[in-house]
Amino acid sequence: MLVVLFFAFLAASAAKGRPVGAPDDWWLARLGVVVAAGLTLIMYSFLYRDNPLFKIGENLFVGVALGYGVILTWRQSLRPEIIDPLFVDPPHIHAFWMELARRSAPIVLGILLLTRLSRRASWLSRYSYTIMVGWGAGLGIPVTIHTYVLQQLKPSLGLISKALGDTPAGQQADLWSAALPILGDVIILAGIVSVLFYFFFSVEHKGAGSFVSQLGIWFLMVAFGASFGNTVMGRVSLLIGRMRFLLHDWLGLGP
Amino acid sequence: MGAPPTQAALRRLAVTRRIIYLLVAVAVAVPSFCDLGCEFKPSPWVEKIFKKVESLKPGSPILLSFDFDPAAMEELYPMGLALLRHCFQNDLHPILMTHWPGGVGISKQIIEKAAKERDKLPGRDYVFLAFKPGYSNLVLNMGESLQGAFSRDFYNQPTAGMPALEGVRSLKDISLVVGLAAGATTEMWIAYGRDRFGFDLGAGCTAVITPDLYPFLNSGQLIGVLGGLRGAADYEKLVKRADRATKGMQAQSLTHVLIILLILGANAHYLWRRTRPNEKG
Repeated sequence: MLVVLFFAFLAASAAKGRPVGAPDDWWLARLGVVVAAGLTLIMYSFLYRDNPLFKIGENLFVGVALGYGVILTWRQSLRPEIIDPLFVDPPHIHAFWMELARRSAPIVLGILLLTRLSRRASWLSRYSYTIMVGWGAGLGIPVTIHTYVLQQLKPSLGLISKALGDTPAGQQADLWSAALPILGDVIILAGIVSVLFYFFFSVEHKGAGSFVSQLGIWFLMVAFGASFGNTVMGRVSLLIGRMRFLLHDWLGLGP
Repeated sequence: MGAPPTQAALRRLAVTRRIIYLLVAVAVAVPSFCDLGCEFKPSPWVEKIFKKVESLKPGSPILLSFDFDPAAMEELYPMGLALLRHCFQNDLHPILMTHWPGGVGISKQIIEKAAKERDKLPGRDYVFLAFKPGYSNLVLNMGESLQGAFSRDFYNQPTAGMPALEGVRSLKDISLVVGLAAGATTEMWIAYGRDRFGFDLGAGCTAVITPDLYPFLNSGQLIGVLGGLRGAADYEKLVKRADRATKGMQAQSLTHVLIILLILGANAHYLWRRTRPNEKG
């Protein structure tokens, strides 16, 4: 069965001939397309059932991704940030020492992180982590409060804001256009209060509290539904891309 | 807890699952061979980004951050291409960068394709800054000095004195930033960029993370969102250049119809089984 599928794959790959006026390296590009098509089909074979080819493809992907990551880190981070400024670009020894002074702290902290690999020296990495956590928290906490709390308060409490006369003049053209945003504000406010109440466990959820808590669950379900719907849309988009690749680039079908 | 499923039931489930996969594959493949004539209207959030780009004068800088890698290519590649085509069409000076090391190759491919169509040159008509590590620290650094953060562009040309960066010293001199993201970089751009330096921020993202950005639309922290393949197709329609996103929407629509029918069918079957006197659930 596997042999038949392999020959069918080769026949399908050979079906698309060389176009007129194609460059000399067309075969190289074609080889890339054929390998990519083969790996795509191997990955999709999991939909039928788990199989050794899928395992090979999976491991190949992990290996290639790791190798690609190493090369990228070298080319985009280590070489331009450490090697080039220190050993390639500086025109004289003074420039070398200046660059080294500027970059010594991050280089040392980076090397300390690598001590995690040794059981005896791993305690040294804590200095790097301490600075990272302290720096991150100091920078992140005020920003998070401003962006995620203060900036979100006004639109979340739009109804109250409008009741206090915060709406600019001339925005309420007619009853319908004025009513719709208010309805939206009411829904947002009800959603925030009920969802917060659902996660508030200091009071037993019964009577009116039970109703508010149930309403919170409904809001959560709608949010999860919207999120899931978008996830499906995203995954279908990936499938569309692969299908287009197989049909057009590999088999040469379609307009 | 009900009784565990029998072997026959599990076998039936496996067959049903494969039939569903086959139906989805057919639904995705059919629009490649025939035009279904699906029409769609661009969403207001996409129109807002389009209008903001339209409002910029020729020669204005616009910062684009393509924070994605090939895994999100299907949704964000057409989005980025449509945005860059719009920028070049209006003679704007796009400044392209990425926070993802894996995004350099794909960003280069997109900007060089769009630039070639309009005979635009790097350094003169656009700037490709590529990648630099740092994430939020890099944004803060760019807010102080763009040339300090990126002393050279991807093609190893010094950014100081570059014609496309004339009048741009930091993020404060840029009126519009659009971030295309397959992760959390849009929220980082809001927190460390927009809220601190005051530029208008538009976002493009994969469909999966679009709902997470809705609260920022309501608060005005984002001027608009291009969500997934649909967002890309909307933008293609606005720039009047139908490309792969518009073609993909046909398959997307057909697949959605199929999924809705399958959900309705499965629920109807479940209810029918529940109403039978000898079976519960």
